[in-house]
Amino acid sequence: MKLNIDGLLVYFPYDYIYPEQYSYMLELKRTLDAKGHGVLEMPSGTGKTISLLSLIVAYQRTYPLEVTKLIYCSRTVPEIEKVIEELRKLMEFYTKETGEKNNFLALALSSRKNLCIHPEILHANIVVYSYHYLLDPKIADLVSKELAKKSVVVFDEAHNIDNVCIDSMSVNITRRTLDRCQTNVETLQNTIQRIKETDAAKLREEYRRLVEGLKEANVARETDIYLSNPVLPDEILQEAVPGSIRTAEHFVGFLKRFLEYLKARLRIHHVVQESSPQFLKDIYEKVCIDRKPLRFCAERLRSLLRTLEIADIADFSAVTLISNFATLVSTYSKGFTIIIEPFEDKTPTIVNPVLHFSCMDPSIAIKPVFERFQSVIITSGTLSPLDIYPRILDFRPVTMASFTMTLARTCLCPLIVGRGNDQVAMSSKFETREDFAVIRNYGNLLLEMSAIVPDGIVAFFTSYVYMENIVASWYEQGILENIQRNKLIFIETQDAAETSMALEKYQEACENGRGAILLSVARGKVSEGIDFVHHFGRAVIMFGVPYVYTQSRILKARLEYLRDQFQIRENDFLTFDAMRHAAQCVGRAIRGKTDYGLMIFADKRYARADKRGKLPRWIQEHITDGSLNLTIDETVQLSKHFLRQMAQPFRREDQLGLSLLTLEQLQSEEMLQKISQIAQQV
Amino acid sequence: MAALSEEVLLVVKRVRQRKQDGTLYLMTERIAWGPEGKDRFTVSHLYADIRCQKISPDGKAKIQLQLVLHTGESTTFHFANESTALKDRDAAKDLLQQLLPKFKKKANKELEEKNRMLQEDPVLFQLYKDLVVSQVISAEEFWASRLKLNSVDHALSNNNKQEVGISAAFLADIRPQTDGCNGLKYNLTSDIIESIFRTYPAVKQKYAENVPHNLTEKEFWTRFFQSHYFHRDRINTGQQDIFSECAKQDEKGLKSMVVQGVKNPMVDLMSLEDKTLDEGYGSLTALPNSSKTVKENSNSAIIKRFNHHSAMVLAAGLRKVEASSDQASETSSTDGNSRDSDFFQPPIKKVKLQEAIEYEDLQNESGPKTIALNLKKSDRYSHGPVPLQSHHYSTSQDIINSVSCIQEEISCYKPCLTRVMSSSAASSAITALSPGGVLMQAGAQQTISQLVSTDVQSELKHLYTAAGELLRHFWSCFPVNTPFLEEKVVKMQSNLERFQSTKLHPFQEKIQREYLSTNLTNHVEEMIQAAYNKFHAWQTRRMLRKT
Repeated sequence: MKLNIDGLLVYFPYDYIYPEQYSYMLELKRTLDAKGHGVLEMPSGTGKTISLLSLIVAYQRTYPLEVTKLIYCSRTVPEIEKVIEELRKLMEFYTKETGEKNNFLALALSSRKNLCIHPEILHANIVVYSYHYLLDPKIADLVSKELAKKSVVVFDEAHNIDNVCIDSMSVNITRRTLDRCQTNVETLQNTIQRIKETDAAKLREEYRRLVEGLKEANVARETDIYLSNPVLPDEILQEAVPGSIRTAEHFVGFLKRFLEYLKARLRIHHVVQESSPQFLKDIYEKVCIDRKPLRFCAERLRSLLRTLEIADIADFSAVTLISNFATLVSTYSKGFTIIIEPFEDKTPTIVNPVLHFSCMDPSIAIKPVFERFQSVIITSGTLSPLDIYPRILDFRPVTMASFTMTLARTCLCPLIVGRGNDQVAMSSKFETREDFAVIRNYGNLLLEMSAIVPDGIVAFFTSYVYMENIVASWYEQGILENIQRNKLIFIETQDAAETSMALEKYQEACENGRGAILLSVARGKVSEGIDFVHHFGRAVIMFGVPYVYTQSRILKARLEYLRDQFQIRENDFLTFDAMRHAAQCVGRAIRGKTDYGLMIFADKRYARADKRGKLPRWIQEHITDGSLNLTIDETVQLSKHFLRQMAQPFRREDQLGLSLLTLEQLQSEEMLQKISQIAQQV
Repeated sequence: MAALSEEVLLVVKRVRQRKQDGTLYLMTERIAWGPEGKDRFTVSHLYADIRCQKISPDGKAKIQLQLVLHTGESTTFHFANESTALKDRDAAKDLLQQLLPKFKKKANKELEEKNRMLQEDPVLFQLYKDLVVSQVISAEEFWASRLKLNSVDHALSNNNKQEVGISAAFLADIRPQTDGCNGLKYNLTSDIIESIFRTYPAVKQKYAENVPHNLTEKEFWTRFFQSHYFHRDRINTGQQDIFSECAKQDEKGLKSMVVQGVKNPMVDLMSLEDKTLDEGYGSLTALPNSSKTVKENSNSAIIKRFNHHSAMVLAAGLRKVEASSDQASETSSTDGNSRDSDFFQPPIKKVKLQEAIEYEDLQNESGPKTIALNLKKSDRYSHGPVPLQSHHYSTSQDIINSVSCIQEEISCYKPCLTRVMSSSAASSAITALSPGGVLMQAGAQQTISQLVSTDVQSELKHLYTAAGELLRHFWSCFPVNTPFLEEKVVKMQSNLERFQSTKLHPFQEKIQREYLSTNLTNHVEEMIQAAYNKFHAWQTRRMLRKT
């Protein structure tokens, strides 16, 4: 159908539309009009991707000078492929409707093996790739540097974007890294020696080029041609390369000294935590390395590697890592912490020192993106509470909205189970998690559900270790064997290949009617990347609240930073983080309006307002007072009732006019009134 | 004694039945018991009729064996020979255990099949009532052609008949019970053994290798339960254990399953992420820690075993189907390595992607899926059944020709205005042709459905189906070229006669009593008459040939 979105003609490749899609497109258009950034939460399965593509492509065609490119970032390879498939559908629709062959060029980059850095990327109208191509400075510099300012950037499935940012800026250095680095430096030295004997002019030329190269970058940055690189600080562009690392030999000597210093730092017996300035002060005192040459380190090494015409850069990953670390630690006095641990907490007898250089501020990595591109859209099915993202990513959105899922029948059923039938409270909180009664009640819950839920059940645990322990004690108590009378059991393991196989078998068992249970882990690969549509997931059980492991020093440092810099209280952040993962887990089962599923939160703490309130609106609004703090028996009763209702035939007519609209219905004044209620502005 | 041709497999003396001493005989096809001093059996059951056998628990004073029949009746034998009662009973039990399953399946399947057919098909059920219950033909005759017919119809589906799957919890059913004196008792039934064998072919192989020459069956299972193999948290299986090899094989099987990878790219966690961070980057230090505690190791062993067990159970249920579906998947997995190219994209991936982005409710459905009509004679389908005339057949081509002939004539019809009827004659002709007029009597005739009550109608219908069924049997005998068919056709002829006298004539009398026109049954009579004619013609020809 052809839609009129606030005066814009949008081709929408379907015969019907969900009201929330219309509302979503309206908000999106407003964001693009304002040339600002947006945060939009819309449940999965309501056609978010096609709404985004339809509107932005229409916008590009209507205002080719305002928006020149769409950069669509998603998280996993299947998601990227899905976007491409939807885009293809849209393009076919355009061709069919307009009769002309479209001249749109869309490009998907996936997997670095097939990395496409062809200049075509500059001409494509749409680029689809993974987050890392934009957020990881090492790749962004290669791939995305020259993307036009008038691009719209979309981060889909963006609920974890802060972690991606942090990961891309954090560095870990072990003894092994340093050993490999040592070899790298020796190779460099030998190569330089050889070239010096054969072609001394080349090295002189190298130095000249280095200075020029940096000047070029400076010009580009000032005229705004490039996406800036957070690892290439402004200062280097304006200053001259310090004398101490000017020649190749001096630079290698410098690297050696730095390496020796790092080795010395790893020879410790107790944990050390310090800030970047402290580290710089120490390095100056111990080996007289100044801040300035450190800052030039990454760029200097890149130039040297280019000059030496080294084919396989991968061999030099260790020395590259060290020099990136040098530049980062000397550039950012804030937002990073250095933690040196002599051994792992679990195994205090085995010496395995690691230097963690942890980024605590996700805004550092994403800052260039917000600064460069006129519109950046952060969207996902679970972004609640919306206002926390602008705070931790440090940007000012023009629109922030959460959309509900309009439903003709309530196809999701969130239930909060707080007690066993013996009235013992159910919770994964630290004090009670090993409690025999809690584990048994969790087992009974799963057992009872396995008897009444058809086909597939997915259960998530708060961590892998917790799941292992529970599975072992369920096995000892014979609970698992009783569950096996109803369904087959498959369990996520730490091995991805093994888990893939278990997943496939799980689906097979759901498919052939046997029914199965998948035991899985929140924050694991399954919870983040696999959908359980229709009979593959008729119920999701979230055992406990998936808090992150709080004893880690890195996390503690990050919490402190959040408190000091963003005034976000530790508990608020931890709860937010736990709830976004819980929402991700339970949201896996509902992928559309024809789908249905139970969402069982098995922990009494979910009933509290501070937890419940952080769930996405589209889940929250279906939690009634009657679904709080239930016993297992009550849960079973409510579930039975729900499943019986859902098993009734559900036809298009039931939806039409309520949660599904024809073009005529969409145009009615009354409906437009209703639609304006769908978006909740924050 | 009776039935000398039967082979007697086991004779047990001093077996009491209804407080009478006697002898128990186990033959190849039945079990029988005769009282002492008499040469006839008072009890005789075909194995096929026996549903199951039950034995009295150990330690009970009376040592008994009970047979439960499919009909629900039961017969109890009491082994009374004091010294060898237990041994006698066990001998009988063991032999029965071997014999019963052979007959059980056959009998059950047939019974089930018949039952199912009758339940699914009300017309057939009515027919069964009309013909078999009223003893027009025997049940065997009725089924003789039915089952064959059925087996032809369902030849395909019968081959692919789903086997009963295996309960995932079959190992749970053997949960050991302490017997009170420091021992464990495992309950093992033949079903469980079959489940173990089907799920773990390696164990079956071990069984075949070792039983009975190395170990007795009992020893084998005792070792099985003692072995770490049976216990899921096994970490290392002892070398002396005969099942250690099974464990190794399982391990290998699991590995090869994992190495094979998954067919559905949407669940492949290995290629989920576009890019993992380079070594050394990232905040999570998920370094593979080699040092796991014993408990953790055993925990992960349990998890592995569960996955493996479920996969094996699933595979055991699917093993048959797989053979056919493998071919399909093989053709689709010839993708090579060019994952990113559209041209070589494996079809399965494309399909899965399409599925994943589909919103069924946003699209107009493309209409329900239809099944193509398979017509053997398309002209009969388009023209409908043509009334069968005694001599003249018109093919569809004839009809088409004549229709076009008439059309042609009408198109060049010219009224001859000089030779018209008088107006009075014309108006009387119109009256005669109007509804109610002399010539329109036939049109005003009430249809049979209005004339006859619904009871009679349905009775007539049943009569028709029954007659049709008998006639089908009758006609299927021709050409009569075997002695068997000869016999059958004579029998069918008499069946028809019996049908006429027991069913048709009473019905005719009934409708006469109700003053309905007897020509209701004319057509049935005609059909039966036609069969008689055929029969007599055949009989005279046979007589002629004989003389």
